[in-house]
Amino acid sequence: MLNALQMFITIAVIALATFTTRALPFIFFGSREPPAMLAVIEKNLPPMILLLLVIYCLKDVQWLTAPYGIPELFTICVVAGLHFWKRNAMLSIFTGTALYMVLVQFNIFSFL
Amino acid sequence: MVRNGEYKREAGEQNKDLFTTAFKTTIPVLLGYIPLGMAFGFLLDGAGYHWIYAFIMSLFVYAGSGQFLAVALLSAGAGLTEFAIATLLLNFRHAFYGLSLLEKFSGIGKVKPYLIFALTDETYALLITTDVPQGSSKSKFYFYIAALDHLYWIAGSVLGAALGSVLDLNLEGMSFVLTALFVVLTIEQYFSSEARFPFIAAVGAGALSLILFSSDNMLLASIVLGTLILIGREKSMQKTQRKQKAQETQETSETEKTQETEKTQEMQGISQIKKKIRSINISMQSVEDKIKEEN
Repeated sequence: MLNALQMFITIAVIALATFTTRALPFIFFGSREPPAMLAVIEKNLPPMILLLLVIYCLKDVQWLTAPYGIPELFTICVVAGLHFWKRNAMLSIFTGTALYMVLVQFNIFSFL
Repeated sequence: MVRNGEYKREAGEQNKDLFTTAFKTTIPVLLGYIPLGMAFGFLLDGAGYHWIYAFIMSLFVYAGSGQFLAVALLSAGAGLTEFAIATLLLNFRHAFYGLSLLEKFSGIGKVKPYLIFALTDETYALLITTDVPQGSSKSKFYFYIAALDHLYWIAGSVLGAALGSVLDLNLEGMSFVLTALFVVLTIEQYFSSEARFPFIAAVGAGALSLILFSSDNMLLASIVLGTLILIGREKSMQKTQRKQKAQETQETSETEKTQETEKTQEMQGISQIKKKIRSINISMQSVEDKIKEEN
């Protein structure tokens, strides 16, 4: 257990480290012209990172033991299908979340 | 004076509308950050720390996975350098987020430092995919989104730390709302951008990183890998373009050459004709001379 002072110092260090990572590109390219390659990266990074965040959400799924990530993959397919069909963000997100909560809380895929 | 008041009221209403739009945009994050924040607060409470620390951390650090890591390090009795290095490594992915926001954040005014501070995965995802309502202030809209998300996170973590042990809500699976949000935003990007290669790069880099790296390092690894793939592809495309250009110039020079040779051939033909004419002239002269002699 840390005392209050140690705790404040620790939190300050974590806060500073986090802010540094977020501010780095703005500090680095604040005064100089970004290289031409960056324009291409800038345009292509957002779609790539978004899809990587989806994959990242699956990082703790146990693929080799039951239920083999099927609740996650199934729900993602439902969300994506619903969104391609209706293109209503709130509908896709909340239907998917409710479905997933039912799937895991009632352990629907326990037969696997 | 009356007009001024009316104008102010109008502006106030516009502001309210903008805030409502921002709020609606952030609802999925609200539903995701409350259970996630509660989980963090609950963990910190379980490690024996007062709920005020959950509040302070969420207020000043504001990094989901970073704060979970901090609890783990606290329980393990880590030193300050370990805290610093582990946090830097875990959150280094955020540097890539900023790279794609340099233009969007330029000239955004005094809220910029706060927007940079509050750049979590979820806020980044919302900022790059949400259009600012027409005729509204970009800085205000972005600030509302970032601040609302921040507020949800603080509220969730304090709730979790203060009431986590008392409340027995079954929120299992609720944080899947963030996965669903990312899925929807990815599809929206698919519709709004013509580029398809970033998705291919993401699937490749993501799958590889899932296999090769631990779940803690996976996101940073996949973003670095994906960025390298994007750069590599851009470079190779530039190369082929340069090659094509070089080939084109070569082709043009070749046609020029053939034209030149044609020209020289023509010239040679002309000179041959000239020679012939001369020889004819000479023979004509000799004939003329003979005629003169005969005369």
